[in-house]
Amino acid sequence: MRRSVPATVVVVVGLLLLVNYIVINPLLAGAAEAVLRLVVVLAAGAALAGGVALVHRHGGDLLRGRGDRLGSAVLLAGLAAVPIAGLYPGSQGVADPAVRWLVGALLAPLIASLFAMLFVFLLLAMREGMAIRSRQVTVMLLAAGVVIVLLLPLGGQIGASLATAADWAMAVPIGGVFRGLLIGVAVVTAVHAARVLLVVEGADD
Amino acid sequence: MPDLGALLGGLVSFIGEQVAASSLRLGPVATVTLLGVVLVLLSLVARPSTRWTVRDIGRLASVGRAMALAAESGTVAALSLGTAGVARATTALGRIETLAAMPILGIVARAAARSGVPLRVTTNDPVAAAMADMLLADAHRRTETPERRDRSTAEYVGEGRATAAATALASGGSPAANFVAGGLGEESLLLLHGASRGAAWTSFGTAAPSQASSVLLTGEGTMIGPELFQATSDHGVRAERTGVLAANRLIGAAVAVIVIGSVLAWVAGVDVTAALVGG
Repeated sequence: MRRSVPATVVVVVGLLLLVNYIVINPLLAGAAEAVLRLVVVLAAGAALAGGVALVHRHGGDLLRGRGDRLGSAVLLAGLAAVPIAGLYPGSQGVADPAVRWLVGALLAPLIASLFAMLFVFLLLAMREGMAIRSRQVTVMLLAAGVVIVLLLPLGGQIGASLATAADWAMAVPIGGVFRGLLIGVAVVTAVHAARVLLVVEGADD
Repeated sequence: MPDLGALLGGLVSFIGEQVAASSLRLGPVATVTLLGVVLVLLSLVARPSTRWTVRDIGRLASVGRAMALAAESGTVAALSLGTAGVARATTALGRIETLAAMPILGIVARAAARSGVPLRVTTNDPVAAAMADMLLADAHRRTETPERRDRSTAEYVGEGRATAAATALASGGSPAANFVAGGLGEESLLLLHGASRGAAWTSFGTAAPSQASSVLLTGEGTMIGPELFQATSDHGVRAERTGVLAANRLIGAAVAVIVIGSVLAWVAGVDVTAALVGG
């Protein structure tokens, strides 16, 4: 009985949104819009609950002296800094200069520096991939080598031939593989969504 | 006070008014195609049949060995649910990928519970963390190991894809077995590199085609594209097996439509695309 309530909610809401997608009807559109607004509110509530869970876990780690205490302290300090900057009396909220400074001077450069390491980690991953010596990795690295050769910035007849070959490689084999992947993913995604919607055995697990 | 007949008549007329005020948004062909997915699935629920199994997708068949390695070394097993999430996902595919990772978590959680290995599940979405927590509790209930429940955790690491990647890179300790399953983005290489560092056994998977190369380079067991949804179908999870059968039949239908449509377009100049998607 406990498990059938969420399943019933999933089926009712899912069918409402699916029928609203297929049929144009003002009454259905109104009901669907109300449900979607409720989903936005629920997502906001979930985000708030996540913040509380973070504070609870890292606060507990600090008090009990377990785990990375410095990391927990920094996290809690950061978690407190942004709401203080955005909610102090007289603050302009997200447009407040303090909040914009925190985002622009701290958060954005941190994220940018993290993603700047992607190339280094790509080289490390290629080395680790070669150490694994699987057939898939070998084929992928060989194909990457061929693409690098095709994209060499050479002039003259050789460069023109390489460019033609590169265009063909992108359009035919590489494009074909990606299209196949996308078709497969689209099909199983639709099936999986339908399975959840119809609560097919165990879909509410 | 209206009688039952008047009530029924009013209900029928209300339904008739609503039907008269409605129209098909996508057109008849596209609507039938959309509903065809549901009908194929329903027919398979009634009459499933067997399919060939050619390989162990994502090395999930040897997850017991992974747990044995973890138990021997005295370390934990770790699983990341990707960086898309359920509530925070910006695309439907990302949301479905996270939901598709839940059965994989179920298999890993039951293996960890049986082996007495603590499982640390991480995610950057609070709803996914709550779902993972329920799955962990269910795994311990099914394996009758409630005394070990507190050793496994589902952790919300904070909002953002970069947060999850940085947490994976910075996390101390080396889980003997590390899994990543769900939606991944440009940060995938960072997350997967952090997850594979020091792990004796890895299995990574995502349905995002653009991140397939990251999974292939860093994982020993891999689930790419549709394999993320198919991986659990060989492990006694009947609903996933039904889904795979449905997907196989729909892929066959899609290939047939592409081939027949291409022949019709080439020979007779028929525009099949316009008929299917409108415009």
